[in-house]
Amino acid sequence: MKVDRRSFLSFVIGGAAGTALSPLPWKLMDDSSIWSQMWPWTPVPPDGEVVYEDSTCSLCPGGCGITVRKIDNRAVKIEGKPGHPVNDGGICILGLSGLQMLYGPTRIKAPMKRMGERGAGKWQKISWDEALGMLTEKLTAIREREEAHTVAAIAGSDQGTVPALLARFMAAFGSPNFIRTPSYQDTDELAVGTLFGEAGRTGFDLENADYILSFGSGIADGWGSPVRMIKACSLWKEKRVPVVQVDPRLSNSAAKATRWVPITPGTEADLALGIAAVMIAKNLVGSGAVSGLGGIKNTLLTDYAPEKVSLSTGVSVEAIVEIAKDFARANRPLALCGRGKAQSPESLRETAAVYLLNGLTGNVNQEGGMWAIAPADYIQWPEVARDKAASAGLRQPRFDGAGSGQYANARHLLQRLPDGLNGNGPYPIQVLMVADANPCHSLHDAAAFKAALDKIPFIVSFSSFNDETAAMADLLLPDHVYLERYADVPVAAGLPSQTIGLSKPVVSPQFNTRHLGETLINLAQAVGGSVAESFPWKNYETCLQETLADKWDVLMQKGVWVDDDFATAGSSLQMAALDTPAVEIEGDAGTFPLLLMPYDSIRISSGYIGDTPFMIKTVADTVIKGKDGFVEINPQTAGEMGLSEGDLATLTTPRGEAPVRVHLFEGIKPGVIAMAKGLGHTAYDGFLADKGINVNELIGPVEDPSSGLDAAWGIRAKLAKA
Amino acid sequence: MSTLDEKATEVMDDDSAHAKGANESGASGYIILFFIIGFAASMVLGWVAFPKLLYSQKQQPFSFNHAMHVAEVNNGCESCHFFRDDGSFSGIPKLAQCTGCHDETMGESEAEATFVEQYVWEEREVPWYSYSRQPDCVFFSHAAHVVGAKMDCVTCHGHIGESESSRPYEYNRITGYSRDIWGKNIAGLKKNSWDRMKMDDCAQCHKEAGIVHTSSVQTKRDACFVCHK
Amino acid sequence: MKHEQKHNPPMKYGMAIDLDKCTGCGACMVACMSENNVPFKKDESNKLDSITWIRVYKLTNGKSFPDTEICYLPRPCQHCEGHGGHSPCVSVCPATATDYSQETGIVSQIYTRCFGCRYCMAACPYHARYFNWWDPVWPDGMEKSLSPNVSPRMRGVVEKCSFCFHRYQQAKNKAYLDGERRVPEEAYQTACTQACPAGAIVFGDLNNPTHKVHQIVKPDPHNGNKSKNPRAFRLLERLGTNTKVYYLSSREWVRRAGDNYLEHEKTGQVSKPHH
Repeated sequence: MKVDRRSFLSFVIGGAAGTALSPLPWKLMDDSSIWSQMWPWTPVPPDGEVVYEDSTCSLCPGGCGITVRKIDNRAVKIEGKPGHPVNDGGICILGLSGLQMLYGPTRIKAPMKRMGERGAGKWQKISWDEALGMLTEKLTAIREREEAHTVAAIAGSDQGTVPALLARFMAAFGSPNFIRTPSYQDTDELAVGTLFGEAGRTGFDLENADYILSFGSGIADGWGSPVRMIKACSLWKEKRVPVVQVDPRLSNSAAKATRWVPITPGTEADLALGIAAVMIAKNLVGSGAVSGLGGIKNTLLTDYAPEKVSLSTGVSVEAIVEIAKDFARANRPLALCGRGKAQSPESLRETAAVYLLNGLTGNVNQEGGMWAIAPADYIQWPEVARDKAASAGLRQPRFDGAGSGQYANARHLLQRLPDGLNGNGPYPIQVLMVADANPCHSLHDAAAFKAALDKIPFIVSFSSFNDETAAMADLLLPDHVYLERYADVPVAAGLPSQTIGLSKPVVSPQFNTRHLGETLINLAQAVGGSVAESFPWKNYETCLQETLADKWDVLMQKGVWVDDDFATAGSSLQMAALDTPAVEIEGDAGTFPLLLMPYDSIRISSGYIGDTPFMIKTVADTVIKGKDGFVEINPQTAGEMGLSEGDLATLTTPRGEAPVRVHLFEGIKPGVIAMAKGLGHTAYDGFLADKGINVNELIGPVEDPSSGLDAAWGIRAKLAKA
Repeated sequence: MSTLDEKATEVMDDDSAHAKGANESGASGYIILFFIIGFAASMVLGWVAFPKLLYSQKQQPFSFNHAMHVAEVNNGCESCHFFRDDGSFSGIPKLAQCTGCHDETMGESEAEATFVEQYVWEEREVPWYSYSRQPDCVFFSHAAHVVGAKMDCVTCHGHIGESESSRPYEYNRITGYSRDIWGKNIAGLKKNSWDRMKMDDCAQCHKEAGIVHTSSVQTKRDACFVCHK
Repeated sequence: MKHEQKHNPPMKYGMAIDLDKCTGCGACMVACMSENNVPFKKDESNKLDSITWIRVYKLTNGKSFPDTEICYLPRPCQHCEGHGGHSPCVSVCPATATDYSQETGIVSQIYTRCFGCRYCMAACPYHARYFNWWDPVWPDGMEKSLSPNVSPRMRGVVEKCSFCFHRYQQAKNKAYLDGERRVPEEAYQTACTQACPAGAIVFGDLNNPTHKVHQIVKPDPHNGNKSKNPRAFRLLERLGTNTKVYYLSSREWVRRAGDNYLEHEKTGQVSKPHH
């Protein structure tokens, strides 16, 4: 049989006819169209039972109640907890994106030891036993040499049982060097101590106030407990409460205020004292409000007369007088300070001046006023046991000098560490432990801090995330993140109450991490002796439960414990003198004609917690574009320098220089330029790293002469077209 | 030259005409034969081989006897497949529901042993394959059908409640969907309401039941968003 | 068997966003991303290809220092009703992938139906629609945070705000179970409304006088659903898009920013839109 062309064609036609009458083409067509609609590589999230788990967010000091939606064992969404005393259902951008931290690529997934050069990013996974063994060996050897004081710890906070366990470990071990990262908390504590004569902090009854005078506080930019603040902003709008924002820049807070008072940066204290002077001159002072007023009356009236204050601050005499009158005549006026998110210490002079205004209203410790609140005292542990090594170590001075000599007023001075390490310290540091802090990014002159770490032979990081400081460590002992663990979350953040929230494990630990509290208990027991004696708890949970005592049940049930009937820190404000020195700004005005100010944005996390992929997505393209960061400048100033929108320029300060792009913004005072904080990361992940400039590397610490706290709020700068 | 040529052509034409005629009667048979071969082969390919190639089979982790369980429980299907308080349908029960009874081995079947040893003791969820799972883009409301329209389970799921063992799970290799929703019959024929659960089947049933909304501006029928997500 | 249909009056879900309260904090944007499985890339600074169903715009009054003012304006899909549901995008979609529901007033987007011609994006006057230029990629482990209630999208399709329609579907499920005829106001709220710390977003049925959004907006059916609230305005109202997202501001310059006005025109004077 010869298969010729015709037979073949016939075969093909037969085949085609048969195929057409079979389901093959039709089914294939249908299936492939379905296939193309839903590619197999597009993820299909598994369905399951929905459960909500309540907890407390501890990503910022705000302490909001959260409720996490889970599908079976996956957390899929964080929402604000309705009815919670702090946030009542609202939630901020950071709190919403917490799952990106829990599941994100930036987690440190297991204990690791450094393999290559320090900072080169070469790590080897090790077991917890090996990791703790390594550290124990180092610590024991140091202790045996009676050099316990050469171990230092940096912590992001000293509130709550976890930081308290770290502080306790240091004390039991024999080191005076538990150092808290700087924040406005330092200044606030100092101001309360100075003005009220007792230890404590301030709280503000924002919801009941009827006039708000904010000296640069980012009431809508993340100050205090951010959700509470934004809620208060709305409440003020509803109740028509006047809000006056003193700010060199039209921040979101200034934009939301009823009145924006642009001011020459750094002269906020003058304005506050000027307002006080008007109040006194016009007899608008509340009765018996401030003791020692007589002593400062004359100085105020002469040195801070509106005409003088107007000259330095750039605020008109009429405005000063009007604000003073309105403030004084309101029933429950309230003045706030702590710039931006209140993440940096401020000059004592400024803070005291603003608190004086609150004093003058006669509303201290009253409804709608400023409260001086005694420290939370629920952590009642027995004194640490001290053996010979501990006693010897604790007799040594603090490495940062805080608490003695010219620094007698300060408790923590982290910015002094680089200088000390570079040869000016009382002794070398052999081991540094870092918890919940990222000083290599968040400290002023971060580069100098990072460089000084070279002098420390052994650095341990407890960070959950691959941050800049963890990248410089020799040993990583990663902590759980807040959604995986129990922890008490005492909330200060300007709340006029004693509030404790409880973080509960919402999901089981995702990686081979360990609760920092647990790690410290393990470590203490491994070091042994009197150190172990000071840590009698079986595990962290037992410690937490025992410490919280009767509060535990309330916290387990409600998630939050509130005491409105708290102890105050003194009742009257004393201001006997006005001799607190001012904080100068670094740089010479001739060489550096501009003033660079960092600003806080609620969309950019700028402390230990890095910005999440979702948050970075919301940052405007006038703040970061590709890898470039922007500097805000008034069009008038830019015009004088021949700069236009989007131009590349070189920004130089006495501390360094950086390439930037220019963004023209009418809402900034001519001569002042501003940059967002929290950018320019080199570590974390590809979603955060290499975006913009870390403004902290361009600003150096400036010590407040009255305390030694780093109260730098900006620096002189110049900008040149690139 | 031209005449000679013409003649030659004529002769040749004549020859070829004869040759053609002879060939035609023989070749036409071949042509039909080849047509039939092609036709038959492709029919076999399309009706027999293709479905075998298109669908892949997976065995369930172990065999489940629905009939026996239905006899044991008080509330029919809803004893195990129930509504949660939030209105969602629980679907295939979780291990926790089974362990209410199956804390220890009950009976002596091989499946029971597998279940207790590999899942109950190990506290592992059973990775059942769901015959009726709709694609990810579909939102199906059990509440609307079972509670709202008071339909019974059989209408869509067939007589699975009477089955004594688990049949293999078949899925489409191209789309990845279960054969149950994509149509048991390769020709697309449908004898029972539960034979197929494609969008057209939803529409047909809704039409038969007289539930035709005109909420869609585009189609004057039900809006897509009612069932899609 | 014929089911008797309960003829509920149609709903018209809409929003009132108080710009006096909005602080531009961005919580709505992230609440939405987290709720709706919105993808993210390493560089999102090119805002033309960055997907944010609700985007907060920063408006300025254009005056120089120190008279500058800022206002933030969150912009979800405006869910235009147009005339009889013929919103700009629905009218041009050749694939029936986007649709207007007369039952809820929601403009839907069916991703599996969309073939990515992007006509709707060209037609939308609000830039509320986004195209997936890339397949979404979640870093290892992060796909655990994906919600099963919303289908992740694939490369080549358009997506946009759905007023969290899946929440309506779920609320309706619950209503069936509870034997209720309608979804209660509090049972269906969008993720942005729920998260907004300022309480600036109010969401509900514009047709239902008991709903807060209706009470704020007071839509006037005889005047193209224009709000009777003097603080309220809609974006590009004069196009006749008949949107269901209303904005409130006590500032005249903000209300003016919502549309193109001639110099002598006042915002309140805009007459009924023409069709």
